[in-house]
Amino acid sequence: MKAALILLGLIVAAALLGPLVVPFAYDSIDWDAIRAGPLTHGHLLGTDFVGRDLLARAMVGTRITLAVALAAALVALVIGVAWGAVAGWIGGRVDEAMMRVVDAAYALPFMFVVILLMVVFGRSILLVFLGIGAVEWLTMARIVRGQVMGLKQRPFVLAAEAAGAPPATIVARHILPNLAGIALAYLLLTVPQVVMIESFLSFLGLGVQEPLTSLGILVKDGADDMDVAVAPLLVPGGILIAILLCLTIAGERLRDRLA
Amino acid sequence: MGALLLRRLLTAIPTLAIVIILSFLLMRVAPGGPFDGERALDPATRAALMQAYGLDRPLSEQIGRYLWRLAQGDFGPSLVYRDFTVTDLVRQGLPVSLTLGGLALLLAAVLGIGAGLYAAARAGSLADRALMTTATVLTVLPTFVTGPALALLFGLRAGWLPVSGWGGPAHLVLPVVALALPVAGAVGKLTRAGLATALSQDHVRTARAMGLAPVRVLLTHALRPALVPVASYLGPAAAGLLTGAVVIETVFALPGLGRYFVQGALNRDYPLVLGVVILYAGLIILFNLIADLLYGWLDPRTRG
Repeated sequence: MKAALILLGLIVAAALLGPLVVPFAYDSIDWDAIRAGPLTHGHLLGTDFVGRDLLARAMVGTRITLAVALAAALVALVIGVAWGAVAGWIGGRVDEAMMRVVDAAYALPFMFVVILLMVVFGRSILLVFLGIGAVEWLTMARIVRGQVMGLKQRPFVLAAEAAGAPPATIVARHILPNLAGIALAYLLLTVPQVVMIESFLSFLGLGVQEPLTSLGILVKDGADDMDVAVAPLLVPGGILIAILLCLTIAGERLRDRLA
Repeated sequence: MGALLLRRLLTAIPTLAIVIILSFLLMRVAPGGPFDGERALDPATRAALMQAYGLDRPLSEQIGRYLWRLAQGDFGPSLVYRDFTVTDLVRQGLPVSLTLGGLALLLAAVLGIGAGLYAAARAGSLADRALMTTATVLTVLPTFVTGPALALLFGLRAGWLPVSGWGGPAHLVLPVVALALPVAGAVGKLTRAGLATALSQDHVRTARAMGLAPVRVLLTHALRPALVPVASYLGPAAAGLLTGAVVIETVFALPGLGRYFVQGALNRDYPLVLGVVILYAGLIILFNLIADLLYGWLDPRTRG
């Protein structure tokens, strides 16, 4: 887990600070070095099919992918925790109705809902992550509901109720803080799922749009160009897999520790 | 068993209805229409087309007419692939997608369960740890990275396998492998974890104490309950394979349903998109039902 977090930290640091160090902009074209191989013309990883520095593009792409994923996961966290906490806390018919909605939503073909949303709301990056967040909260809601139902019976909650604390206070003071750990674990596990969806959509041309870039777009460009050069496919693909692996390992360890 | 089946089929109907109505409305809210191509149509032609396809009627009437025809098994005409009905396109694409997804599911189950069993039989060994690390890596492999990478390695470089198109079985190898890898990883991890739990149970300890061979204990006593989590994973996973196939069909230029869906969504081909969504939703419900039935067979205690 430690190795995973360190590697993830390095990737994030490179994505954030790297563009300050790399002497090329991610979208500027080096006319003398189109499809340059690694370590030629001063390009550490070479250039893509129109001569843009691959390292700079990979760093900016990683940044966008991570930003979109984090934002979407936060949207999912907020909706999921709110939905699950209300259902679990109120219980009874309300709980029944709310969880039915979750069950029904599970039966929807997710990827198609996301693609429909992309088509409906145009190709704004903001809406990409709002749309993804809006379909990724279901598991979070289920977990939170289960936790809340358990916590509701615990002595300290019963004591607070007996002492006359209003429900809102009990939820805010006693329930949510006790949820934080498991919610964080699932947040970590939601991020790789969102990274996957974002890259998938961008790969199909439905997500982040040029001139902005993301790992999905870079993989797509690399795949289109792979009969000529392999670095444009392997570099963003490798970064993507490393991010997914680190987040999955960290999230699973944390979840197993708390569960 | 019959009661469960009936109950699940009855809940499937409202779910499908919600999917249909939601998708119908979402498509219509979307800016642009099927006849807003790059070349602007003459207004009179456009109006005639809208009228011919009934798109000038009120929305409620359109939904009603759509549902009525759907009940008779008619998905309507495709608005962009003129001369084709949606049923024609589905009939062409569905076998490709189902073959792809089905083979990938089979491969993933065989590889994953096999690896999980082997690892559990040698619990704690180097082979166990190596297999489980590999499984973790496999679970995160995105098909749109492994697909092109496999095509590069075994198609373009080695020249062993075709990298695109639809023909003989050779065309299926790379797409099926790319699709199966992440599912195989997950199945392997679940099988291994399930076996570890099952092996620590009383009846297994008894069987061992009675002197049964370890392999026999593993196969006859531990495997069946250990596969319960695998079964409940495979329902949604089967659905995931169908969606994952959208990308794989694009990467390997296979004429499956997924490609029609993406093209249909981009072209605002309402009936085509709706048809594919309804079909996928139906398949997802079906797979989840099969997973539930499998669940009951593997663990009789869960039968209600």
